[in-house]
Amino acid sequence: MEILALVKLALDTGQLRVSETKVDIDSTPLKISDIDRNAVEEAVRIKEKAGGRVRVITALKYGPLTRRQQEAESLLREVLAMGADEAYLIVDNALINSDQLLTAKAIAATIRKLGNYDLIIAGEATIDGYTSQVGGPRVAAELGIPVITFVRELRVEGNKVTAKRDLEDAIQTVEAQLPVLVTVTREINVPRIPPLLQIRAAMKKPINRLGLADLGISMKSPVEVTNIVPIQVKRKGVIIKDGTVDEKVDKLIQALIQEGIITPPR
Amino acid sequence: MDMTKVLVIGSISDLGLIGLAQKVESPEIHYLLLGGGDATQLGKYGVTKVYTLSAQVDEASLAETLVNLISTNNYSVIITPPVNKYFKTTIPIAAQKTSAPVLVDVLDLKQGGNTFEVTLNGVGNRAQVTVKVTDRVFLMAPPARFKPVEKVTTVTTESLQPKAITGIKVVSTEEKPKGKVRIEDAELIVSVGRGFKKQEDLKLAFELAEVLGAEIGCSRPIAADLKWLSEDHWVGLSGHKVRPKLYMAVGISGQPQHLAGMMESKTVVVINSDPNAPFFKNCDYGVVEDLYKFVPALTKKLREILKK
Ligand SMILES: Cc1cc2nc3c(=O)[nH]c(=O)nc-3n(C[C@H](O)[C@H](O)[C@H](O)COP(=O)(O)OP(=O)(O)OC[C@H]3O[C@@H](n4cnc5c(N)ncnc54)[C@H](O)[C@@H]3O)c2cc1C
Ligand SMILES: Nc1ncnc2c1ncn2[C@@H]1O[C@H](COP(=O)(O)O)[C@@H](O)[C@H]1O
Repeated sequence: MEILALVKLALDTGQLRVSETKVDIDSTPLKISDIDRNAVEEAVRIKEKAGGRVRVITALKYGPLTRRQQEAESLLREVLAMGADEAYLIVDNALINSDQLLTAKAIAATIRKLGNYDLIIAGEATIDGYTSQVGGPRVAAELGIPVITFVRELRVEGNKVTAKRDLEDAIQTVEAQLPVLVTVTREINVPRIPPLLQIRAAMKKPINRLGLADLGISMKSPVEVTNIVPIQVKRKGVIIKDGTVDEKVDKLIQALIQEGIITPPR
Repeated sequence: MDMTKVLVIGSISDLGLIGLAQKVESPEIHYLLLGGGDATQLGKYGVTKVYTLSAQVDEASLAETLVNLISTNNYSVIITPPVNKYFKTTIPIAAQKTSAPVLVDVLDLKQGGNTFEVTLNGVGNRAQVTVKVTDRVFLMAPPARFKPVEKVTTVTTESLQPKAITGIKVVSTEEKPKGKVRIEDAELIVSVGRGFKKQEDLKLAFELAEVLGAEIGCSRPIAADLKWLSEDHWVGLSGHKVRPKLYMAVGISGQPQHLAGMMESKTVVVINSDPNAPFFKNCDYGVVEDLYKFVPALTKKLREILKK
């Protein structure tokens, strides 16, 4: 079974570097977008059952490239350590700050270049883009294959895929034939934490680099980002940590009265 | 592409989105009305053409119908609500096939000649992002954010015949238990997280909420993993966005994806036994204490004071 997992190296929104008026994207660290770990985990589990290999594709979206490439490679080692066999890193200045249209074209072109595939697994959404667009519907549309989104249970038997989709008001069970693209939710599995031995072994696995020229893409992003202003809320930050439980209760109740949230009857 | 042509896609209750469409200069507004309803109502707000679907279809089929409609009418702006996973699947397929970006959680649109300047919530709802687009664009926004101005027009209606696309077969559909909480509108919220060890223990939070007259919110794992509460309680990036007077987070760590849903709360109280929980950096009042000791004591005291 040829399985592809789509992984975004996302901005770590928990460690966003902000000044008063600007978000400093360039100095904010990257991390593997949480749900993409679930995608890799699912891919590796299927491989462990059915045999085959797992290749990971990522399009680097944040610069500066000189520094980010190193960061990207060490993050990719983490998913290789989880059991993926090989990684493809798409690096190109034209992808920095680009929109999902171009990102999806680059990923789809890479997939075509790799040749055969049976199953593509992506995450339901990223922590920074949070659009649920790229890996799922857009790449599938570009490749002309069916997509099954928001999957929290997946079974592959021979050529047949059975999936449970987690929709707002229902769980929908669907079937499809390979090849198909599936996006998974955070609840589908618990991603493994690879032991040290595996991390060492991952150092030898190949990370292949590609540019847009290698993929025959010359288009520019249709969207230009002109400003990013942090949403900051000033909070009082009063920490109540000393005293007995009852003393803490009293302090909080005083605060709630002061804020006008509760009004004791006289 | 015709810069004045706008398509709104949604149900009859999404017509707030016409307010966003009206920000385009002298727009010609069409509406793809899903799920039925009185099309003439849309004529009150300057919609000239309403499309309906002859049948309810899956995401791939609707996407195909959209692609055809867009290429026939050459819309420059296509507006949809973000509300559900049906749209989240359909719209990107249609957008990729019509070579257009999709901007989500849109706040505003300004037009200067051939350029649209769009502001939106981005970077995991941590920043306001401004972008420029000079070609076709899809916008997703909550309808309640906009208010269309009245402008009476005559509406013509046309029914579209979507083609079913095979590839994915629906085997069964199992309804989820439905809640009836509208957490988005709650004034006071007591929100629970994985600090609660068992489902029964949530009783502590329910008792506190009752004394306060608050609704119960929760983090994603409580609704999605553990299913201790229905999804209408779920607060965060992938859940509901709330803006209460009081948000009291009990046993919630305060990950950015949770914060994304409650940033607009007025007063934030955090109760957590771990002094290093990230939520303490984003609160007005933070109590470092075991919830199993603190919450019952708080409920008891509030009962006395509020004479309940
Ligand atoms: C794309 C994406 C979207 C997401 N969307 C959402 C979303 O919409 N909403 C959401 O909530 N999450 C969301 N998440 C998940 C989010 O990242 C966190 O995993 C989640 O919010 C953690 O929930 P929690 O705080 O309840 O649990 P934990 O992180 O496990 O925290 C439990 C807390 O309870 C405290 N605690 C333990 N025992 C006690 C005690 N006895 N007394 C007091 N405190 C105690 C602990 O110190 C800890 O801080 C999303 C993740 C991703 C990747
Ligand atoms: N730059 C990227 N490189 C590889 N995969 C991506 C990239 N961006 C998004 N994806 C995939 O698409 C999914 C949805 O992303 P998004 O549209 O950003 O919410 C992610 O979970 C990934 O699987």
